[in-house]
Amino acid sequence: MPGETVVWLGLAIGLLFGAVGQYSGFCLQSGLRGWWGEGDPRKVRTFALAAAIALVASQALDAAGLVPLERSIYPLATFSIPVILVGGALFGYGMVLANGCGARALVLLGSGNLRSLYVLLILGVSAQATLTGLLAPTRVSVAGSTGSTFAATTLPGVVGDALGPDLARWLAVAVIGGALLAFAFANRAFRASPSQIAAGLVVGLLVAAGWYVTGHVGADDFDPRPVASLTFIAPIAAGIQYVMLSTGIALGFGVAVVGGVIAGSALMAIPRRQFRLAGFSGPGLMLRYAAGAVLMGVGGALALGCSIGQGLTGFSTLALASLVAVAGILIGSALGIRGPVSVAVPSQ
Amino acid sequence: MAGSTVTRRTALGLLGATMTMPLALRPAAAQAAWWRAIPDAAALVGDAAPATDGIRIDLPLVSEDGSAVDLGLTVDRPMTQDSFVAELHVFADRNPSPEVAAFFFSPLSGRAAIATRIRLNESQTVGVVARMNTGEVIVGSRDVVVTVSGCLARVGGTAPGLMETRVRAPTRFVAGAPGEVTTLINHPMETGLRTTLAGEILPENIVRRFLAAFDRATVFEARFHRSVATNPYLRFFVAPPRPGELALRWEADGGLVADARVDLAVGA
Repeated sequence: MPGETVVWLGLAIGLLFGAVGQYSGFCLQSGLRGWWGEGDPRKVRTFALAAAIALVASQALDAAGLVPLERSIYPLATFSIPVILVGGALFGYGMVLANGCGARALVLLGSGNLRSLYVLLILGVSAQATLTGLLAPTRVSVAGSTGSTFAATTLPGVVGDALGPDLARWLAVAVIGGALLAFAFANRAFRASPSQIAAGLVVGLLVAAGWYVTGHVGADDFDPRPVASLTFIAPIAAGIQYVMLSTGIALGFGVAVVGGVIAGSALMAIPRRQFRLAGFSGPGLMLRYAAGAVLMGVGGALALGCSIGQGLTGFSTLALASLVAVAGILIGSALGIRGPVSVAVPSQ
Repeated sequence: MAGSTVTRRTALGLLGATMTMPLALRPAAAQAAWWRAIPDAAALVGDAAPATDGIRIDLPLVSEDGSAVDLGLTVDRPMTQDSFVAELHVFADRNPSPEVAAFFFSPLSGRAAIATRIRLNESQTVGVVARMNTGEVIVGSRDVVVTVSGCLARVGGTAPGLMETRVRAPTRFVAGAPGEVTTLINHPMETGLRTTLAGEILPENIVRRFLAAFDRATVFEARFHRSVATNPYLRFFVAPPRPGELALRWEADGGLVADARVDLAVGA
């Protein structure tokens, strides 16, 4: 039964991601804060390294014919630039408000942080409301009226006619991946930090592993479903649904990853004596985290992914829609970290 | 101590009762002649009281994706030359059009069972009517909860390789014993209910008919309506009495036809 294998492998990928995330503090939000504001300057480089590795490894899988990346949800021919851009920006701003994205909240929950439990529940419900609930008709009609159709779905596709698909692919990978690697390793603190380098490598490879599991191990000729990899918004929502309805629905890859991340983080935090319960210091902070969680849920659903789902996984397909989403996430994060509507690091 | 045991048992009993109650009540309510509300189903059943046992309907209790819900049907009746299940019709009355699909069997089907994927607009009761060649009618129904409507538009996404087919059949049959044939054809199954970005209605464009013939004699036929999911998937049985060729044909709107052939080897 390939479906069962996919679930077990998803759990394993989640466990690794959770353990690495707990150990290294892998997080785009705190990385951007360290880059644009004050904080650890290495973490944004860790994220950049993960993106570069994910890009190279995923494109290699696609080129080798092992995983048809064009069958993922990211390379859309028809999409709404405003919806994806605004969705990304809402997500980015929400991520700063809640002091970490959905994946980071799962990792923190595994180490006993109950603020994350609150963020995850609100995020999941808001995301599902946007995907299929109260907000879904509005999303569909706005996306429909502002959408447009593009001749190419990926960055290599844009230049593919002139160069040929293979050259276009590897040129794009070399330029973008090279720039990310140069950015990461130009920082001395990052170069001197083997644990951060290892975290970037592992997370990048986990993205490719996710593609391999859903696209190759789980491939079923008679059930051509989209291939997927690490992503957290829809799976967190699906995870909440699974908790409530598990007698009637099957466990999928995404939900298995979500469960694995929490468990993997706990398994890493407990022996390191970093498991401790933490809550809110006051209602003001609860309000701020709730707002952040709603923005992440709604924005992540509009942008079809989070800082991991679009920032690493979607990005690794070089889909145009993913590049728009990433731009949105960076814009939203920048607004949250600097400038007139910025918010400080919450003091717990 | 004794008191707490009793309390726990009572609590468990109550819990058990509340859990089984909806399950016990629902089928009775659902069997209340659901087919009378659907003209096509009512015409099939006629005035006689149909049998209500013998159709197994495999549907998930809860479907997360109404655009492709796994449906399995098995009619528990022997398939002989004298008595076999001739027709099997599927209805979903809260879909924009209630007819989902119809399947036609022959004695060479070996087993009156199919599996496919259907679209469901909302939570509802899926009803099935089977008719034997002798005229006996059997009905069945099952509730399914749909959390995401199959009609929630997914913009874009035409499958590459229109009318491309895939077929899987056993490498060797035992003479007269049913073997499972699995098929899939790439087709968008456009419902005629969706609109493009420009607001124009996408015309209905579906695979209408599937035929399976063993040595030129039709052994199985399926008729699809718009509630069959994208890339129609179909699993059915065939029981070849001797080695021969199974010819498969899909007929779609616009005069499109796809053919596939499988040689069936029959061992002792």
